[in-house]
Amino acid sequence: MGVSTLSEWTGRIGELVIGATAKDGGTRSHSVTIGGEEDLPYIGIPPSGHRPLVAYELSDDPELWPAAATRFIGDRVHDTAEWVAHADREYQPDLIRLYLSSTRERNFSDISRIGETVESVLQATELPLIIEGSNDPAIDSAVFQKIGEAAEGERILLGTAEAGHYRSVAAAAMAYGHSVIAQSPIDINLAKQLNILLRETGLSPDRIAIDPYTGALGYGFEYSYSVMERIRYSALKGDSDLAMPMISSAIDSLVVKEVREADEGDACPTAVAWEIYAMLPATIAGASIVCVRHPLSIEPLKTAIAALWNGEPKGGM
Amino acid sequence: MALKPLEIYKLLPKKNCKECGDPTCLTFAMKLAGGKAKPEACPYLDENAKTILGASTRPPVRKIRIGVGERAVTIGEELVQFRHEKSFFHEPGIFMAVTDLMTPGAIQERVIFVRDEILTRVGTDLRLNGIAVRSVNGSPTAFTKAVEAVEAVADLPEVLMAGDPAVMEAGLSVCGNYRPLLHAATSSQYWEMCRLAKKYACPLAIRADSLDALAELSGLCSAEGIENLVLDLSSLSLSEQLNRSTAVRQHAVSRKTPALGHPVCIDTAVSGLPDAALIAGVTKFGSVLICDDLSSASRKALLVLRQNIYTDPQKPIQITPGLYRVGSPGKDAPVLLTVNFSLTFFTLQGYLEASRVPCFMLIVDTEGLSVLTAVASGKLQETLVRDAIAKYNLSAEVAHKRLIIPGYAAPLSGRIEDATGWKVLVGPRDAADISEFLEKEWKG
Ligand code: B12
Ligand code: SF4
Repeated sequence: MGVSTLSEWTGRIGELVIGATAKDGGTRSHSVTIGGEEDLPYIGIPPSGHRPLVAYELSDDPELWPAAATRFIGDRVHDTAEWVAHADREYQPDLIRLYLSSTRERNFSDISRIGETVESVLQATELPLIIEGSNDPAIDSAVFQKIGEAAEGERILLGTAEAGHYRSVAAAAMAYGHSVIAQSPIDINLAKQLNILLRETGLSPDRIAIDPYTGALGYGFEYSYSVMERIRYSALKGDSDLAMPMISSAIDSLVVKEVREADEGDACPTAVAWEIYAMLPATIAGASIVCVRHPLSIEPLKTAIAALWNGEPKGGM
Repeated sequence: MALKPLEIYKLLPKKNCKECGDPTCLTFAMKLAGGKAKPEACPYLDENAKTILGASTRPPVRKIRIGVGERAVTIGEELVQFRHEKSFFHEPGIFMAVTDLMTPGAIQERVIFVRDEILTRVGTDLRLNGIAVRSVNGSPTAFTKAVEAVEAVADLPEVLMAGDPAVMEAGLSVCGNYRPLLHAATSSQYWEMCRLAKKYACPLAIRADSLDALAELSGLCSAEGIENLVLDLSSLSLSEQLNRSTAVRQHAVSRKTPALGHPVCIDTAVSGLPDAALIAGVTKFGSVLICDDLSSASRKALLVLRQNIYTDPQKPIQITPGLYRVGSPGKDAPVLLTVNFSLTFFTLQGYLEASRVPCFMLIVDTEGLSVLTAVASGKLQETLVRDAIAKYNLSAEVAHKRLIIPGYAAPLSGRIEDATGWKVLVGPRDAADISEFLEKEWKG
């Protein structure tokens, strides 16, 4: 009889490379590839494409970061490069995702500091990087230009493009050889539309990661989970405008009620559980990169992903 | 896939005699295809048509009940591969395991925990469902004692886990009347397990090394008269668990392999990564999930994940719009506006209760959208607020005309004032800050 999964797909998810080694003109110890799947997530033994990756998120402005995450890092949070180096060494994420949250301060104008921060982070770690810039049309152009330039040759993933503002990000990515995160609010049609807009700027599809926006567990995750499944399903059915790998980050996980109000001894495990119970399902729904802010979420997530993957860890190298 | 109307029509007698209650055989066929009629309504079906139509109108995943009484769990009866295609219907039952090596005291502690522990979220009580009793000792007496310890403190649904039919029967002698799930029959003893399942009218889990062998075993058990089967897909490898559960659901909903049209059971301790196995089980087609002890953090996250995956993605959980009271508000009590998305309502209500300020909550109908989503989509409008104030006769309830609106609705404040004639106070964005706000801005 031969009962196995029924895999009658015609589409394939495109591949996206993050990070450049010396050979490619960068300084990363290795680059990572995501995407490439021809079936549902984890399906096939071994599965098609590349293993999902875990990114650790941190910020150049610890004031804007959840206490549940920074408590663990101690004073290092005040020196972004030190924070990065520590996280790389101690927790071994697949990627570092740096939020330049300082650009969200009112009347931010210290563009040169952005460049310095990016350079110091590139020094502090050899991991491939994801960098999040500003969210304000007035400074977007200068900020993304600066990030792009400071990381030239490193093939970073640059965020975030949204339907309302995507040109500055796309321009910086194209000028300096980076890729772009395209975020839309939990809606498959908006995700597709944004990809089309980005394509029209000249950005090639293998430089886009879809971020379908992820609500935290219990706070919208049910919608995000299905939108990811629908995007993956449409891509496998042949819709090339949705055939990019996805990135998912349940950014509110560490500030939801259950985590904030957990008993003293339960606070840390609850924070970790809230991240893992959203991010592992996100990979099952189709995310290629999942992001966490609590350092203790990294190892169990990587272990679980490896177990679900069960093949050679193709992602990563 | 289910049959199409024309395919069904071909099987009907084409007498157009109307005895089924429909004007023609064709309209009856259309109803059958949509699941809105039962084949038995036509008295003239031949045997062949009966078999085919019976199979195609039966849910592709069989419905099964475990346990009796209030806490009994219903599983199966699922129709789709992806929840966005319709919805998933019956949440997996989560069974916490005890073993016959544990003392009765330790067993009962765990059973009482499962019996009593409740996590209340968005107005729903979330709880673990039952107890799995593992035979580890191997002796029938030890198993009997363990089951007795469970029965002494709770009427929870049970999974009896014993590969030796003699041990299983010992357990059944204690709880056989309460419809436990028998776990598990294999090719080497299935007829004995089937005999027990028949004698006690219990559902039966079956286990085999491959899906082919499992489908074959399913057929053998059906031939013994046991249809209430559960497929055990526990595996050392999570990759295998996920691949098999996906294959089983695909073969079930496509009706390619009806022998696999049964709910799936996963013992999440087997892989050594219980959290990951539970997550894979909840998201991908597990119906009976067995776990050993769970940390409080994992239990909460698991229950919330299950609630998320098993809510209808088309319909947010809503509450009825209207005027709600917190405490016993008087004529000068504050009125707070919010939307009818359950999560929003219960979050705000929780913080208002904690603030100990008696007040009114004015809930408008945003069709279940949250504040921010309703504002972004334009569903929350001043006219909605105006009509609600009139409909719920707010002027008769309070002696003032001041309305507190959510911080995220600030862009609407001017328009709400104009449309209602009420003075609008913009509240905090985060409901957690409501107590401080009421202290300062309302009382002060
Ligand atoms: C889940 C979700 C959805 C779900 C809907 C869920 C639902 N039932 O509403 C879906 C997928 C359908 C959806 C759709 C859309 N969404 Co949406 N969605 C979310 C998400 C992830 C979570 C929303 C949620 O559940 N919040 C939790 C509840 C409890 O929050 P709340 O109702 O606001 O209540 C809080 C406060 O307002 C306060 N509060 C509540 N009442 C009151 C009352 C008073 C008096 C006070 C003082 C305080 C107070 O207390 C609560 C807790 O603090 C948010 C992101 C986010 N983090 O908020 C985006 C988000 C709200 N969505 C967004 C958008 C743009 C949309 C769409 C317009 C996109 C589209 N497709 O066109 C649509 C609109 C819907 C439609 N039908 O057209 C944007 C809004 C952007 C903005 N700032 O305006 C967000 C912020 C995502 C983003 N960053 O892009 N969405
Ligand atoms: S009862 Fe049977 S034969 Fe008569 S109209 Fe209905 S379907 Fe046709």
